[in-house]
Amino acid sequence: MIGNQVALIKRELWEHRAIYVTPLVIALIVSIMAITGQAVVSAFDQAVDIAILGATNLGAAERAAAITVLMTGVSSLLVMGMWVLTVFYSLDALYAERKDRSILFWRSLPCTDSETVNSKLLTAAIVIPLITFAVIVLTHLVVLALASIWLGIQGANAWHLIWRAAPLTSNWTATLVFLLALQLWLSPFIGWFLFVSAFTRRSPLLVAFLPIVILPMLEKSLIGTSLFLDAFFVRTASLPLFRGLTTGEIFTYQGDEWSFGDQVPSGLLSLLDLPRFFGSPSLWLGLIVCGLLTTAAIYVRRYRDDS
Amino acid sequence: MTSLVSARNVSKSFGSVRAVDDVSFDIDKGKIMGLIGPNGAGKTTLLKAVLGLTDCEGTLSVLGLDPFRRRKELMQNVCFIADVAVLPRWIRVNQLLDFVESVHPRFSRARATELLARTKIVPQARIRELSKGMVTQLHLSIITAVDAKLLVLDEPTIGLDIIFRKEFYGNLLNDYFDKERTILITTHQVEEIENLLTDVMFINDGRLVLHASMDALPERYVELMTSGENAERARQLNPIFERDVFGKKVLTFEGVGRDQLHGLGELRTPGIADLFVAKVKGAAA
Repeated sequence: MIGNQVALIKRELWEHRAIYVTPLVIALIVSIMAITGQAVVSAFDQAVDIAILGATNLGAAERAAAITVLMTGVSSLLVMGMWVLTVFYSLDALYAERKDRSILFWRSLPCTDSETVNSKLLTAAIVIPLITFAVIVLTHLVVLALASIWLGIQGANAWHLIWRAAPLTSNWTATLVFLLALQLWLSPFIGWFLFVSAFTRRSPLLVAFLPIVILPMLEKSLIGTSLFLDAFFVRTASLPLFRGLTTGEIFTYQGDEWSFGDQVPSGLLSLLDLPRFFGSPSLWLGLIVCGLLTTAAIYVRRYRDDS
Repeated sequence: MTSLVSARNVSKSFGSVRAVDDVSFDIDKGKIMGLIGPNGAGKTTLLKAVLGLTDCEGTLSVLGLDPFRRRKELMQNVCFIADVAVLPRWIRVNQLLDFVESVHPRFSRARATELLARTKIVPQARIRELSKGMVTQLHLSIITAVDAKLLVLDEPTIGLDIIFRKEFYGNLLNDYFDKERTILITTHQVEEIENLLTDVMFINDGRLVLHASMDALPERYVELMTSGENAERARQLNPIFERDVFGKKVLTFEGVGRDQLHGLGELRTPGIADLFVAKVKGAAA
């Protein structure tokens, strides 16, 4: 059972090389941007001091925050890439094997339809974020290393300014939690895409997105409400994973100047609020919807006879 | 003899079309059963039911299992080649072997490697880089390396040239088949498998029109080539079908003794293809 699952997930990685190629390409672009970014900064001369990482006049807390902002910027590009990847992967997962008829071969092996569909769900919900996470860590290391080289050229102590200041463990742990939580939160979409890819005869992308456009319009014109659209936006726009952060926590106003406060959270981990996330009924509702749609996809794969 | 496949009143409908209509048969261990029928006769549907790929009415048991409900267990002992084009085109040969090795408890990697070493297929190649014939060689090598009890072949050699077809059946008999294994095969190229078969079933419009062992055919069926007056006399014995060959009449008889036809012309056992035409067209006439 577990052996089958491992083999099936390996198969997904062979078939969908985009799962690791996409984040690696984004990582490469980000790294190149980091090199050119540093070059531009160094062209200004160190007196300009606009490079957040080279700003030796900042305190430790501010530098940690600056590095965290940089790391978050890098991560966010890869997270966007991850979701584009998740959409295309899930839509292709049960469609490609029908299109090239290899489903007849896969089904001639001793794997159940549930095992196969589950392996695709696990790939989308866990393997894709784990690979994205590994690439994010790699990219952070590359970008920070590039910054260190630049600092070294300027004669500054990169070990002290960057590596000792950066809350790496906290940021990476938080990133991993965020990636997995994001897939759980958006799991009803993964379920929907898998279901579409199991039943549609053509253009899964169109079939998956058309209802998301048409249903709200129908609802508005027929019933006059916009419940579907609201639910959609709540789902896509607000992940209940973070605790609130007030401006007062970050900045303090002294005299006539804003300055960084003492309470600045060091690292992203302190921003997460897991009890709030797991206590959110919307999360569980979404997981149930995902479960139902995945079951429907298994059912379709099992009972459909394309001939 | 143990019955490996047992079908009782099996039917399958698609809307108002009955693709398989009340079919009953048994296949015993160690047999090579040919399932012969025209396009749309229900062959593939019947095979799919046997393989648990589609649900059906009636009672169907393969290796003592309900194929549709227990497909995973079934597939540990049943192998299946649909037709030449079903191996995923993106996969590499060694990945394919890795995968089958991890999911199939009865697959021998060493045996597959040994069989593939005889071909020009390299382990690093992707399926899309292989010719149709090589893909079939690969598929057959994998299946031969599985210690399965039943092999189901649905038009396995369609689109292959004559060399690969001959080789395919040669390998099937030499490397795969033994008295412990059973083969169920459909094909249009009946002549090529005629000498392989131990048993044959004809299916037409979803119904079985013949189910017999090859050994029993000469006793049950006889073909008479004759002309003129002898033909007239032979017609009194109710041939099931009559056709013209080079100006002579060829009459096919079922259940008529050879001694009764003695002296009326040339007697022989009909080939499967001719017999099939006689059974199907004769029934329609």
